[in-house]
Amino acid sequence: MASNGNEPFKFQEQTWAKFSRGHSGMVVAPTGFGKTFSVFLAVVIDYLNHPNNYKKGIKLLWISPLRSLAKDLAKAMSEAIEDIGIDWEVAVRNGDTPQKVRRQQERLMPDVLITTPETLHLLFSQKNNSRWFKSISCIAVDEWHELIGNKRGVLVELALSRIKLLSKQVRIWGITATIGNLDQASKVLIPFPDLKVVTIKAREKKKIKVIPVLPDEVEVLPWAGHLGRSMASKIIPIIHENKTTLIFTNTRGQSELWYQILLEADPDLAGLLAIHHGSIDKKLRNWIEESISEGLLKAVVCTSSLDLGVDFKPVDCVIQIGSAKGISRFMQRAGRSGHSPYEVSKIYMIPTHSLELVEASALKEAVKELRVEDREPQILCYDVLVQFLVTLAVGEGFSHEDTLNLVRATHAFNALTDEEFAWAIQFITQGGSTLKSYEQFHRVYKDDNGLFKVKNRRISMLHRMNIGAIVSDAMLRVKFLSGGYVGMIEEFFISKLKPSDSFVLAGRVLELIHIKDMTAYVRISKSKKAITPSWMGGRLPLTSYMSHFLRKKLSDALEPGIRERELKFLHPLISRQAKYSQIPRANEFLVELIQTKEGNHLYMYPFEGRLVHEVISALIAYRISKIKPLTFTIAMNDYGFELLSDQDIPINESNIDMILSKENLMDDVIASINAAEMASRKFRDIAVISGLVVQSAPGANKTNKSLQSSSGLIFRVLEENEPNNLLLRQAYTEVFDQQIEEVRLRAAFDRISESKLIIKRSNTFTPLSFPIKVDRLRQSVSSEKLDKRIQRIQSEIYKKTKV
Amino acid sequence: MNYVEKEIHINNQRLILNNLRAVFWADHKSIIVSDLHVGKSKHFRKHGIPISSKVQESDLERLHFLITLYKPERLIIVGDLFHSGHKDEVSIFKKWLERFPLLEVHLIKGNHDRISSNSPAVNNLYIYDDELKLTPFIFVHIPIDAVKDFTISGHLHPGIRLKARGRPGITLPCFKLCKTQLVLPAFSLFTGLATESIRKSNSYYAFTDTSFYEF
Repeated sequence: MASNGNEPFKFQEQTWAKFSRGHSGMVVAPTGFGKTFSVFLAVVIDYLNHPNNYKKGIKLLWISPLRSLAKDLAKAMSEAIEDIGIDWEVAVRNGDTPQKVRRQQERLMPDVLITTPETLHLLFSQKNNSRWFKSISCIAVDEWHELIGNKRGVLVELALSRIKLLSKQVRIWGITATIGNLDQASKVLIPFPDLKVVTIKAREKKKIKVIPVLPDEVEVLPWAGHLGRSMASKIIPIIHENKTTLIFTNTRGQSELWYQILLEADPDLAGLLAIHHGSIDKKLRNWIEESISEGLLKAVVCTSSLDLGVDFKPVDCVIQIGSAKGISRFMQRAGRSGHSPYEVSKIYMIPTHSLELVEASALKEAVKELRVEDREPQILCYDVLVQFLVTLAVGEGFSHEDTLNLVRATHAFNALTDEEFAWAIQFITQGGSTLKSYEQFHRVYKDDNGLFKVKNRRISMLHRMNIGAIVSDAMLRVKFLSGGYVGMIEEFFISKLKPSDSFVLAGRVLELIHIKDMTAYVRISKSKKAITPSWMGGRLPLTSYMSHFLRKKLSDALEPGIRERELKFLHPLISRQAKYSQIPRANEFLVELIQTKEGNHLYMYPFEGRLVHEVISALIAYRISKIKPLTFTIAMNDYGFELLSDQDIPINESNIDMILSKENLMDDVIASINAAEMASRKFRDIAVISGLVVQSAPGANKTNKSLQSSSGLIFRVLEENEPNNLLLRQAYTEVFDQQIEEVRLRAAFDRISESKLIIKRSNTFTPLSFPIKVDRLRQSVSSEKLDKRIQRIQSEIYKKTKV
Repeated sequence: MNYVEKEIHINNQRLILNNLRAVFWADHKSIIVSDLHVGKSKHFRKHGIPISSKVQESDLERLHFLITLYKPERLIIVGDLFHSGHKDEVSIFKKWLERFPLLEVHLIKGNHDRISSNSPAVNNLYIYDDELKLTPFIFVHIPIDAVKDFTISGHLHPGIRLKARGRPGITLPCFKLCKTQLVLPAFSLFTGLATESIRKSNSYYAFTDTSFYEF
């Protein structure tokens, strides 16, 4: 059966056997081991054995989160089908599929359809769409680990639930890489009690070799981000030693920067080095991806844009610049090299400051123990529910009772109450709870047969454009005046530029000419100085597993193991920390009080990542200000945070227990943060997904200008007029679950309360505190009230000389 | 309703800026406002986006309050009174206007105002295509640079972005004063802001619910 005479892996054979016995399930295997063929061939084999069980139309529906995979996947499947000699048609349908092909497909669907969650929902919004789903024998959800943690996963859950109602014989198979909560992942994908579910794990393991690259000398006061340039000379030889290297950075801004640095360090790389990130024009990205496959490029600087996707055969080396912030992300990136099953994946870690070497050591251990993070499934996303209901209303229309059952069958909406569902219906039919305030609102009607439908063509059109759960910042296309696209850039960034200003994109220095129709027109700039765009949302949070390993390694650092060359290398730094303060052991919590001419600094090191520190630092500032009213400047990094005040900070051995107490934790947190402001930020995605904000497609000539509004504006309007709106409530829930990470915060304070609290006093910065201090100069938050802040800024920065 | 005021003097005229987003021209007994966008929330509702009509009601209540506060003889609207130009919008506003039979209303048409200048007006509503001159000011919708006369305009929805060392920055609506022009903030609360960084050559009267700040 194995098409090319290759011996099949055991897990593949198991999948084929289970499938033929009518099971559904989950296949867990590392990339490069033929996960695709485990499920795909299972369907083909079953078809060969029982051709009469299969009807005309789609037999296998393949849902993949990535568009870029689809083409290669279709090719591989078509070849296999040809070898086996059955007359199946394999086709792709996604955002790139031309109109003409779509219409053809709608007349006669292929036997295997490869699509994305979004395009599947778009199909649901077509007239008479259910006929396409009646013949499906198997739905395969590829890369489920990429979907389960976000709202796209909820789109998949809803789609499965609907198709299962239309096609009684359907089996559901998920394909995933290793994640922490595999059992849960399987239950979320296949929550249907009438399906028999198995989990099949590949025994094969990917070997990963982690190589930390040490700088020439260790700086005892590490300056965050400062090592960068000097490490370029270490990267160049690695590039030359290997065939093709992927260089991962964490943000698009960093990738632009490193592209320049590497070209400066070795001008011979010109033409052999490329840059790849989400804001670069799709055609250019496709070209780069093809060039990697053909081995034409020596190295590519990229972001998470290349975390997944097509397997690039020539890639034999991966470089990670700076922290990867998470174990599974790190392993995934490592896996991009040495792709065939028995090759070793090789990943170099380039620290951007000395302390990141501790991280390298932590990653090595985590990879050895194969401890990867959980991906928490999302629940009760009312925004996705609202979108789904309107999608159904645009398509064939829906009835109250049946749809409630369909929705509740999913994991995400298992706990949906009758009232909440009724609210969603009311929201799409009447707009809000006070009917009088929403006259003329006609999104969805109830027709004479009790079916909810959309009648207005323009509303259907707007909705179709808006289907999906990926919300990007408002983006503009960047285009040369002479023609040709460069890529995309955030409106937020470009709105700050004036014509003739220069900026860097796709490794080129560009001069802005003008902006028209959501497109920024540029020409190549002669200027030497240019601004690198700061793309928003580039900061990845540190995962809690990662912080666990970090604390452990730092605690070990005084007595490094024989193989831990990076920890030995760090010895001067570690011993300085031990001399002037202390290295916190696993059961200790370190607090540093440092007095300098800048003022009084308080440092704490929970090692929980920047996002959690944002919350903890506000909380500590709040608790201190209850003892003595103080205004702080707050700064943080992934390891700890700083509170800076011009006055004495009243913290000592007698009250530190109280300051770090887990009593009244959430009450104090709520009092200390501006929850409304945080929720307003979270509301952005919710507003777009639920259709409250109309997004203009970049490059679109016609913008829906008269319907433009910001989510912040709508948030304010809703808070004033409809405080019980479930979408508002969802924004607050998301703040607590994702921003404040309530569960993790409680765990952190449980841990702190069991730790020995140590206060160290010093007149000089310690190796741990210094990077935070340096970061403060770039960005900090303040604990003042709005009016006070404005007054301070007014007097300090915008000193106006009165005439 | 709570409000704060800030008095400025231009061409020997007293202009009282109010943080309820209006200017009272004391010497001429006129209230000046801009960008009411009457009918905007309804336009959204019609396109399937539920925005409560209370938004608009509260805008008009605020205007009502200002009129009872300053007891003006004139209301000057420097454009974008209406959002989409639908006839309902016009009738809603005219109906509201019946509360003030003695008030003269002067509308300088904005890009959103698709209302005919000689539409069957209520007696006290006057409409101008481009500008209205009332010495020593010229009222227009879109700000014009480099003219000798002092213009009062709207259209921009001006706001400022304050950058302190650090994030997040603060954005505030403002009255923007350049050499020869004053740009008013949008009166409707259901409007966005066109924020800019502060330039030394301009003055900005930014406001919160409780205070005015001059930059």
